[in-house]
Amino acid sequence: MLARLAENLFWAGRYVERAEDTARMVDVTYHTLLESPQGRGSQSWEQLLEVLHLQELYGDGPIEPERAVEFLVIDRDNPGSIAACITRARENVRSVRELVSSELWESINDLHLTLRSRDMRQELLDQPFQLLRWIRRDCMTIYGVASETMPRDDVWRFMALGRLLERAEMTCRLIDVRYGQLEPVLGASPRAAVGGEAAMGAGRTDFHHWTSVLKSASALEAYRRRYRSSMDPADVVEFLLLEPDLPRSVVFCLAGAMHQLEALSGGAPSPATRRLGRATSSLQYRDVTDLFDVGLHEFLDGVQDQVGEVADAVAAEFFRHQPTGAMHAIATG
Amino acid sequence: MGDLFSDYELDGFFDEVFEATGVRPHYRGVLERLRYLSSDDLERREAIRDGIFRSAGITFTVYGDDDGIERTFPMDLLPRLIPANEWDIIERGVVQRVTALNRFLEDLYAGEQAAVHDGVVPRWLVHTAEGFRREAFGIAVPHAARCLVSGVDLVRDHRGTYCVLEDNLRNPSGISYVLENRAAMTRVLPVAFAEQRVRPVDHYGPMLLRALRSVAPPSAGENPLAVVLTPGVYNSAYFEHAFLARQMGIQLVEGRDLVVDEHVVYMRTTKGLERVDVIYRRIDDDFLDPVVFRPDSALGVPGLLSAARAGNVTIANAVGNGVADDKALYAYVPDMIRFYLGEEPILPNVQTYLLWDDEQRAAVLDRLGELVVKPVAESGGYGMLIGPHASDEEVETFRSRVTEDPRGYIAQEIVALSRHPTLIGDRMEGRHIDLRPFAISGEQVEVIPGGLTRVALTRGSLVVNSSQGGGSKDTWVLQAEGPAKDPDASTVEREV
Amino acid sequence: MRLDIRYTTRFRYAGQVTESQNELRACPTTDDHQWLVHYDVTTFPTSRVQSYLDHWGTRVDTFGVRLPHDRLEVVASATVETGSRSQDPPSMPLAAYDQTRFRDAHLEFLQTSGHVAWGDPVAAAAAECAVRAGDDAIDVIMAVQESVAGLEFRAGTTQVGTPVDDVLAAGAGVCQDFAHLAIAMYRHLGIPARYVSGYLFTVDDATGEDRAADEVEVETHAWIEAAIPGWGWLALDPTNAQEVGERHVTIGRGRDYDDVSPFRGVFTGRQDHELDVAVTMRRLALEPLGDIPGGFMRQVAQQQQ
Repeated sequence: MLARLAENLFWAGRYVERAEDTARMVDVTYHTLLESPQGRGSQSWEQLLEVLHLQELYGDGPIEPERAVEFLVIDRDNPGSIAACITRARENVRSVRELVSSELWESINDLHLTLRSRDMRQELLDQPFQLLRWIRRDCMTIYGVASETMPRDDVWRFMALGRLLERAEMTCRLIDVRYGQLEPVLGASPRAAVGGEAAMGAGRTDFHHWTSVLKSASALEAYRRRYRSSMDPADVVEFLLLEPDLPRSVVFCLAGAMHQLEALSGGAPSPATRRLGRATSSLQYRDVTDLFDVGLHEFLDGVQDQVGEVADAVAAEFFRHQPTGAMHAIATG
Repeated sequence: MGDLFSDYELDGFFDEVFEATGVRPHYRGVLERLRYLSSDDLERREAIRDGIFRSAGITFTVYGDDDGIERTFPMDLLPRLIPANEWDIIERGVVQRVTALNRFLEDLYAGEQAAVHDGVVPRWLVHTAEGFRREAFGIAVPHAARCLVSGVDLVRDHRGTYCVLEDNLRNPSGISYVLENRAAMTRVLPVAFAEQRVRPVDHYGPMLLRALRSVAPPSAGENPLAVVLTPGVYNSAYFEHAFLARQMGIQLVEGRDLVVDEHVVYMRTTKGLERVDVIYRRIDDDFLDPVVFRPDSALGVPGLLSAARAGNVTIANAVGNGVADDKALYAYVPDMIRFYLGEEPILPNVQTYLLWDDEQRAAVLDRLGELVVKPVAESGGYGMLIGPHASDEEVETFRSRVTEDPRGYIAQEIVALSRHPTLIGDRMEGRHIDLRPFAISGEQVEVIPGGLTRVALTRGSLVVNSSQGGGSKDTWVLQAEGPAKDPDASTVEREV
Repeated sequence: MRLDIRYTTRFRYAGQVTESQNELRACPTTDDHQWLVHYDVTTFPTSRVQSYLDHWGTRVDTFGVRLPHDRLEVVASATVETGSRSQDPPSMPLAAYDQTRFRDAHLEFLQTSGHVAWGDPVAAAAAECAVRAGDDAIDVIMAVQESVAGLEFRAGTTQVGTPVDDVLAAGAGVCQDFAHLAIAMYRHLGIPARYVSGYLFTVDDATGEDRAADEVEVETHAWIEAAIPGWGWLALDPTNAQEVGERHVTIGRGRDYDDVSPFRGVFTGRQDHELDVAVTMRRLALEPLGDIPGGFMRQVAQQQQ
């Protein structure tokens, strides 16, 4: 396959996932705020922007909830906004239309066109939950359509690989954003706050917070079946990071990515598979209570860095023949 | 003949369907079929047709408006029929013409320039032609197949004689319409089609691929790799580029997918670099290689010409073909045929006047309002003057343009283009048409039976270009009388 | 005169660049006035250099470096033997230029081209020269030559691509400007003129200084040739107001700079780079071979037998 098309497929997978997960995170932040004391809004949004590495783009000045939501959902000048992600996903799929099923193209094109035609600003004001839910559902429709209409060849694999790596990163961020928002509530350092006794005896607010995290990762029911009624932050974090059967857990994503990578490189070990293997094993054997001691935020950052390195290795192995940078002409005497 | 033709007028033009005494014999079967169609039937069939084209996404972009507008190229329900004996003339004429043009171009860029040295074609005309590419000097093409795909625009005059209006030797587009029109027509009028023994066009893809492989450089080995090079999804003809790649089952690439290393062209794949032997490029010369042509172009492949010159890749169509479809050189094509082939042209040119010749220019300026004036380096029907349809002001504008830049224009006698009944609303009206048959040059030159029949949909208009409000007709070349056989089967292996 | 020429182009890029593809036109030609004894091109990183003669008869060396590199060095080394030339065309009326056959054969060098597109100021200057010189073609040619040579040589005032009308207005320029301006004036008067790229021994184009030495650092040079009906091309160096002789080494000829530009190419990566171009010319002690043309070419032929 052409390296460029493989890269476009990889990024199509990433962008759809990014849009969906951003919707999940905006949703969870909204949820939390409804049940928080007045005046915490701007702080929560600030933390979300930080976790998404978008605070610089947002710019200085006060963070107003309304503006932040707009920025994250519909602002096309923000390349990380949901609308921008969908546009870029569509551009990527458009360039590989010859390779993907027409149903996939139609589903992503439909979402793109709908986002363009509706008065999103108004909807965001009136019905934020509905809008976010609708975006999430449409993103899932795209995967469903892809999954049901495309052969499991390299075309599929590059797209799936992009999606899984993106999701692994985003799940880390999802935990992180809640964890960060939690910190001031408990009024102490993360370590003291969530580790040890404070965590074990999580209060009512805390309970809601972690419930909403699980919900936004579509993991609440599964968690309940596993842990019954206990809502221990350490359990939640462990579940979202390490549960091998949960489709949004980091370990699940990395295992899936490994599966795709091995198929793509014909089973031969490569820098990408080695890095992915390292990332997976460094996770698998972690004691989560431990994590709270070393600092969960730092740990999550570390996992994201490792996933980023895997993505770099994938690019080097499969897309490396793409030139990097612009072309320049020279003429001298 | 039912209501469809109730008020049909010939208006003194040569009509493809009717002669003075009635319907031409080869059209009788089709008209008989149409007779049974009610206006509801017609509407239903038009709806079928529209659905087919829309879902296939067959559109082209019209330039010149503020932003390019995507339009479909409307296909008329009544096909254009060409009987075997007429097609025989067209086919032989096009093969002859393209063969001579190939020989001229190969000689000009990679040979002795005999036609120039012997004064058959003026040297200065070549040197000042906009399409002349000195950068292509010294690059030979196997079998001299420089016009790998060419489209020769034919019109019929008031006597029904087929004449050549212009040659398209750079990147002629439209073949996708030929195939899509046929695919649509067989579903819209299946019975009429089946009755007519129409020569097929669907072997175009394999035929083109075979030609591309035949021009691979000797270094390519047994199984040469050919690709289609497109400027990208934003190009107006992208649909056709993707279509052709699909028809041939080969990779559609952009410039950035290719890289030159040690004068060999490679394609960047997920498994590494893969050698490319033949490039069917749909990018204009000026954008092909920024080392040699426009340095600011990111569409092309740096070092591509050096690879071609080293004999490691073949570029099709060859670089610099524009010199020969320059409208000024058009006038010399009959002489090229005599010079290179020692034959008399089978298809005549339209009477053309060269405006740098003082006498011819003076004569033309005297009767500018009766003639067609064309800029020599434009295509697509842009920038023309059609004397009888132009205002005095437009005529005067062209008078000063021609006087200032006599080299930039030619004048031609107006050809009273033949007309063909075309469904306008719910009845048939005569509309002017032309014909663009497509020739493929490989080891030899072959013509796809049929081609694109373009229709000037505006009443009285002589401009058939898709960009100027034209439509199209499926073109049915009828098989010769006699035992049923497929004449194409002998020349092209069908790929299953 | 036998000369060793070493033409070095060095790029130092700000970061790693890839996919560099280039064309070099630095090879002295062999014609009636000079004979190329030896030529080779080496590059670092190494590459396969492929050479061909272009439409104008100039040797072009093409090469590319695909893998990442942070510098590129290209060295063209030539040894060339030059001779003096006879430059005494017969006088003839300007009307001799009007023959259709002559004009058609030279049309490329009569029309405007990329760097030779002139407006009223250049046209007026050319017309003035013609009026001053009278009817004799050679007088007109020399009048234009003197007029252009009257401009001030000033390095760094212009870059290639300065319109000839602006060069005239500035009254100063570098050798490419002088050549383009002279060509424009000739073409305006109906005299076919072409651009010559080459090397000039001892006169440094960076400073305009003529140093008498056996080894000098110079830059590439440019001059022009004007067509004389029935005689040939008359070479003139408007930059130095001097005759073109054995110190001039011709690389190639074309309509203007673009047809013979010494180095052009593209690369991918960060654009920032340092560029260092050096031309070293060294005179070799050798018995003169005799006058050129005629005897020169015969001797060459004998040597080769």
